[in-house]
Order: sequence, then structure tokens, then C-alpha cells
Amino acid sequence: MEPLMGMGVLALMGAAATIAGTTEDLESDVGSQSNPNSQVQLAPQMMYPHRIYNKAISGEPPSNALICAIGGTVASVLMTAGLSVVFAIAVGALIATAVHGTYAITSYMGRTASQKRFKQPIYLDIIRSHTPVIMGYAFITTFCILVVSYIMVAVLGHPFPLALIAFIWGITVGAIGSSTGDVHYGAEREFQNVEFGSGLNAANSGNIVRKAESGLRNGIDNSWFCAKFGGPVTGLAFGMTVFLSGWVTAVFDPAISITWGWLSVVAGVVLVLLMIIWNRRIEVAAREAYGPYKEDEEVAA
Amino acid sequence: MSAGGAGGEATGGIPQNKLIAVGVLGGLIAAYAGHFLVQAAGPAFAFIGALGAICAIVWGCAAVRRVASYGLGTGVPSIGMMALGMGVVASLFGLAVGGIAGPIVAFITASIIGLVIGALANKVLGMGIPIMEQSMTEIAGAGALTIIGLSVAMTGTFMFDAVLETVVATGYIAVIFIAGGMAILHPFNANLGPDEQQDRTLTTGVEKAAIAMVVAGIVATVSEDASAIPTIMIGLALWYVAFRKYVELVNRDAYKVIGTGLLPTEEELE
Repeated sequence: MEPLMGMGVLALMGAAATIAGTTEDLESDVGSQSNPNSQVQLAPQMMYPHRIYNKAISGEPPSNALICAIGGTVASVLMTAGLSVVFAIAVGALIATAVHGTYAITSYMGRTASQKRFKQPIYLDIIRSHTPVIMGYAFITTFCILVVSYIMVAVLGHPFPLALIAFIWGITVGAIGSSTGDVHYGAEREFQNVEFGSGLNAANSGNIVRKAESGLRNGIDNSWFCAKFGGPVTGLAFGMTVFLSGWVTAVFDPAISITWGWLSVVAGVVLVLLMIIWNRRIEVAAREAYGPYKEDEEVAA
Repeated sequence: MSAGGAGGEATGGIPQNKLIAVGVLGGLIAAYAGHFLVQAAGPAFAFIGALGAICAIVWGCAAVRRVASYGLGTGVPSIGMMALGMGVVASLFGLAVGGIAGPIVAFITASIIGLVIGALANKVLGMGIPIMEQSMTEIAGAGALTIIGLSVAMTGTFMFDAVLETVVATGYIAVIFIAGGMAILHPFNANLGPDEQQDRTLTTGVEKAAIAMVVAGIVATVSEDASAIPTIMIGLALWYVAFRKYVELVNRDAYKVIGTGLLPTEEELE
């Protein structure tokens, strides 16, 4: 492939991945999936009933693997039948989204019904307002992941079939959404009522913020907060993963010669080292600016 | 952790031995019935394989429920993924060497793998869950029968060459893996809590298994030996019935189901 063409394809994949990462994180935030879910689940037991969606569909990697694998399967079946690629991907994402909706509803209703003794009611308006938002984000995520997967199969000639690549990217986007995005919802949003950086004291367990700027807080308020930073930063993380992992072989194409292949490996190692050093510097700078936790210091003194 | 169940044996509902019988007999009979009826009467009967997968999934849900009630908490999803992981290895091995006895060989292999992993979890890792060995054996067997049942629905046979060509080489094994695995793990995970009821969990299992059946039906459109329309239509009908039943059970079990409203008051909580 022409180097310029290769770069263009890579840029398109990176852009699609960035959108997928962002919507994946916001989708999990609307429903409080993954790590922040444990506190949403615990709250009623600690006498803090709430109006926050409890979407406990396993962790983010399996649930995104499910929607992406279903989308990839349906799209691949439709393409085998000779339908256009865009139509096939859109219908695949649509069916995956419908399945995701049923998973979301059963987990909210089921988890809440199993908390009868803590008197947590099921609010039907929460289901009616949040489930379409969850499904909307899930559609965008699945669509973008399918675009990335299709480009890998059709343009870059990846040997794996579409459904399998979509499945693997689904796990990846879920894993990155869980590791990068959850931090900005769990610690920062659920516990806004405690001092920043104070960690989660056992006495505060389950005492999540339940009242909003106006009225009672719900999952859509949480995604509004996360859309400012947590979602986009997750998108950047996933976009960079897709872009940089393809970039090394696009610049140093192993198809040209074995030397170029090794150069691509060297470029990958250099990138990883650069990232480690950069991350270390950010961490040190953050600790100097905000930490260590002051109250501990006074106790020690 | 309280969020992970009562920390003791799950109680109530249908006895586990009955569910084992439904899962094993239903799964195996349906795999063979699907295979032979497709050969004798035409591809329209491939859907029977998916009915077997539903039996196996319900059995798997019940087994996950029993073992996860010992406070596994976040381990529930992992155990579902493990079920299908063991199931994929065992079913591909069984179908490859077993020929016409493939499903039975796969089921026995899965049970052995499950037993070994259960023993490792208890003896080596020291998890100390009394029913670990039995449950892992059950979960692995249910995983293998789920994969075989859905493969029959997709291809109309469990013969290894056809399964390899239509299910594995095309990558559709990925959707069997994740849709089957989620159908086994999600029901208990979704109904987790101190007031969980077996009938509600198993109804969720049927509903999720019906979704896997519909997806298998969609894949069957690319296969000549399996009809898509019966599988999709029966799957959708089963999904509708199970979902309605589930909502009914939620209304029965929940503290309150209200259109909208404020949080319960302090007095109400006491």
C-alpha cells in the first residue's frame, strides 16, 4: 500500500476509535457499570436509596465484546448476502444495541428487585429515560468498532474474520474504558461530598452523592459530568492505542524488508519507553502539586 | 461482601438435580435430534439444537447461582467466561475426535476439565467452597452443550468439518462464546442481592438464551443445511414470553415499582 494511503487509513481508524472510546465510557457512566457500580449497589444497604441506574452487565470488557461480536456477526452475514458495507454495519450495530438494551433493563430491574429488604424502589421513569441513552451510546461504540474492524479486514488485509476482530476490539475498548474512564466517575463524581483526594474512608462506603444541582441525581447527570473530561480522555487513550500500534508498521512496513520489520519493533519499544517516562513525570508533578495527603502529615508530625 | 450474595448456600426453588437432568438430557437429546432431523426431514429442524442450548444455559445459570452464592461477588462474570472457555476447548476436542459420538465425548471431556479446575480452585488455591468441584463440573458441561447446541442451530450438524468451516473459520465462534457465556453469567449477576429468587434468575436465563438463539438463527442464513427463519421466529417468541414473565416476577419481588417519585423517607426506611 502507498505510504500516504496507509497513513490516511490509519487516521480514519484512529478517529473512529477515539469516538468509540468516548461513547463507551459515557455509556458505562449513564448506567454506573463496572467499578463505580459497587458503590451504587451498596448504597441502599447503607440506608442511602437513590435514583441512579444500576446497570450490572458484568464488567465493561465482556459487555462490549458482546455488542461488538453481535454487530460484527450480523454485519458479516449481511455482507455475505451482498448488501452494502455501510448498511450492513449500521444494521449490525442496531441489532447489537437492541440486545444491549435488554441486558441493561434486566440488570437494573433484577438488581433493584433483589434489594427489597433495603426498600430501594424501581423507578420506571429511570428505565424509560436512561435505557435509550445507554442504547444510543452503545450504537455509536459498536458502529465505530465495526468501522475499525472492517478497515482492518478489507483494507489492511488482516487474516482474522470480521466477527472475531470486532470481538477482540470490543474487549479492548471495554478494558480501556474501564481502566481510564472509571476513575473520573467513581472517585470524583460519586464522592463529590468529601474532600478531593481524601480516598474512600470505610465510613463513607455507600454514601454516594444522591442529590443533584436541581432535584435528585441520576445517571444522565453523571454522564454530563463525565462528558467534560473522563469520556474524551478515554477516547484519546483508545484512539492512541489504535493509532500508535498501527503507526509503527505503517511507517516501517515489514513487507518492504526484514530490517524495516525490526525497525518497527524498535519504534514500538521507543514509544512505550517515551510513554512510561511521560507518565512518570505527570505523576511526580501531580504529587508535588497536590500531595501527599495533608491530614496524614499533621498526624505524623 | 454483602453485595455478592448471602455468603452461604443458595436455597429455594427447583432442586439442582432436576436442573442437571434438564440440562444434560435436554442439551444432548436436542443436539442429536437437530442433527438427525435435519438429515431426515430438512434444514428447518436446525432450531432444535438451539432449544438444547437453552436447556444447557438454564442449567449453567443455576450452577453459577449456587456457587456464586458463596460470596463470589465480582467473580460471577469471570466464572461465566471460564465456563465457555472450558466449553470451547472440550467441544472442539470432542467434535474433532468423536464423530457421531462427538457431543457425548465433548460433554465428558468438559466435565473432566471442570472437575480438575474445581479441585485446583479448592485444593491449590484454597477457596474452600464446599460445592466448588461439582459446580465447576456442571458449569463446564453446560458451556460445552451450549456451544454444541448453538453450532447445530447455525450449521444443522455437529460434524466437525461443517462446524469448522461455518462456525470457527468464519469467526462466528466468537459470538457463540460471548453470547453463550453472557447468557450463563448474566442472569445471576443481574439479579444479585439478598432478595434474589431462583425462578427470576432462571427466567432471565431463558430470556438471554433466546437472544443467543436469535443470533444463531441470523448466522444460519449463510448455511445451506440450517434454516434461519424458524430459529429466529421461535427465538423471538421465546424471548417475548420469557421477558414478560421476568417483568411479572420483578413486579412480584420488588419493594415498589413506581412510575416516578422521590426517595423513600427516613421514616419509611426504618
